[in-house]
Amino acid sequence: MLQLIREIQRNHELIWALALKELQVRYKRSALGFLWALLNPLLMMIILTIVFSTVMRIGVNEYAVFLLSALVPWTFFSQALSYSVESIVTNADLLKKIYIGRSVFPLAAVLSNLINFLLSLIPLALVLLALRFPFHWTWVYMPVPLLGLMLFTMGCGFFCAAANVFFRDVSHIIQIILSAWFYFSPVIYSLDFIPERFRLLFRLNPMLYILNGFRLAIYYGQLPSLASAALSVGVGILAFGIGYYVFHRYEDSFVYYV
Amino acid sequence: MDLAKIRFDNVVQRFRVIRERPDTLREVFTRLFSRNSRVYDFDALKGINFTIRDGEAVGIVGRNGSGKSTTLKIIAGVYRPTSGRVVVSGRVAPLIELAAGFHGDLTGRENIVLNGLLLGLSRREIMASEDRIIGFAALGDFIDSPVKQYSSGMYMRLGFAVATEVDPDILLIDEILAVGDAEFQQKCMARIEEFRQRGKTIVLVSHTAATIRQLCPRAIFLDGGTIVADGPAEEVLAKYIESQEGHQEAPHLSQEGAPASG
Repeated sequence: MLQLIREIQRNHELIWALALKELQVRYKRSALGFLWALLNPLLMMIILTIVFSTVMRIGVNEYAVFLLSALVPWTFFSQALSYSVESIVTNADLLKKIYIGRSVFPLAAVLSNLINFLLSLIPLALVLLALRFPFHWTWVYMPVPLLGLMLFTMGCGFFCAAANVFFRDVSHIIQIILSAWFYFSPVIYSLDFIPERFRLLFRLNPMLYILNGFRLAIYYGQLPSLASAALSVGVGILAFGIGYYVFHRYEDSFVYYV
Repeated sequence: MDLAKIRFDNVVQRFRVIRERPDTLREVFTRLFSRNSRVYDFDALKGINFTIRDGEAVGIVGRNGSGKSTTLKIIAGVYRPTSGRVVVSGRVAPLIELAAGFHGDLTGRENIVLNGLLLGLSRREIMASEDRIIGFAALGDFIDSPVKQYSSGMYMRLGFAVATEVDPDILLIDEILAVGDAEFQQKCMARIEEFRQRGKTIVLVSHTAATIRQLCPRAIFLDGGTIVADGPAEEVLAKYIESQEGHQEAPHLSQEGAPASG
């Protein structure tokens, strides 16, 4: 772990540059350029809002906000993981030619998506304004589930990036897992929609605590229970520890398999 | 004080070579039931020893597959040897495949920053030497175009310009002089010569004797992962050229009635 901190310290400029490059390249050839980072989530949110407040009415007050409050962090998780899983393999050429701390690549993948996530809070705020939905003071609580979310994502990212070096199947499987996980997580519903007898099973999902933190802060204007708050960060730390441990254990042999 | 910049103690580098990847699911299943192993070990370096001192310029010669590039990559830290001990002290700048970190959609200027960071420079160092890099690469207005529009020569020039801006203690050079036009080659040579005069340690890999003769007083001849000769460049190169003639040009020589024809 100490080594990771040293590696981040030494390479922080590189990690930033790689993360920004990712975004730059994504929007480079488009007329609106970087604006798409805002426009893309905004348009998606407008569509969802229209669909769920006029066409498909669901018995939840302001369902659009209910949905978006968990969907925005979920989207970060899912995209960051999709990027990190490939991060070592796509940089094979570099790894084979010069020495760079390997952790740089998954970290940059998560960072670039974190920037996207933070930017997408702006369109989220706009949607709330348009719906005249109140901004609860609990928004200030968001850094706590965000910390959990980041650690959890980086942990999964480290693990999957390493696994994908040895078994390229991982990058395909992860897409399937992500779509199953999406329905297993309280994004389009919340835990009280689930029959009592299944709830225990759903509570095993680490994303539950993280997403709940976001939804409580944005939608309900409440703080989570201390246990739930602790769990949202705790699962992050645990995942990060395991993920980095596996990554570090095998990072020296990546170069032979990419 | 130990002046050794690079030391290899009985270094072995083993690669696991996959003979053939299963392409279809059917092959994966047939593989499961046959014990026929498709993987074998290949020792690219079979226990080599050498020491390179501060300020030395050493050429490594050998045919393709002799372990030259592997040696260079171990010095660069890309490979961690399977067994043996490697000591490298000082900042290493690899001039190995210069444009490895370039991204086609970014401009030359943007790539200078990215590539410099990849090579371990700080953003401040890169900014300070940006003009010099651009001047050396001599790309003109192309510096603000995406590098995917560059010719291979322009690509190389930019890569070389960035890589030599890292002020290294040890400079690793792999065959780069084989490409690029004559003028650029001369420019490269001048730059490398400048490094040498500043007392930097240089390790140069090549399969052409001329490049090594020009820059290195000492040479190491690798063949099949072992050191065949290590010493003054002239002697080592003579052995290398001799072995090459024995291998490749035997029919040619016999035509001319050389004694080798027997």
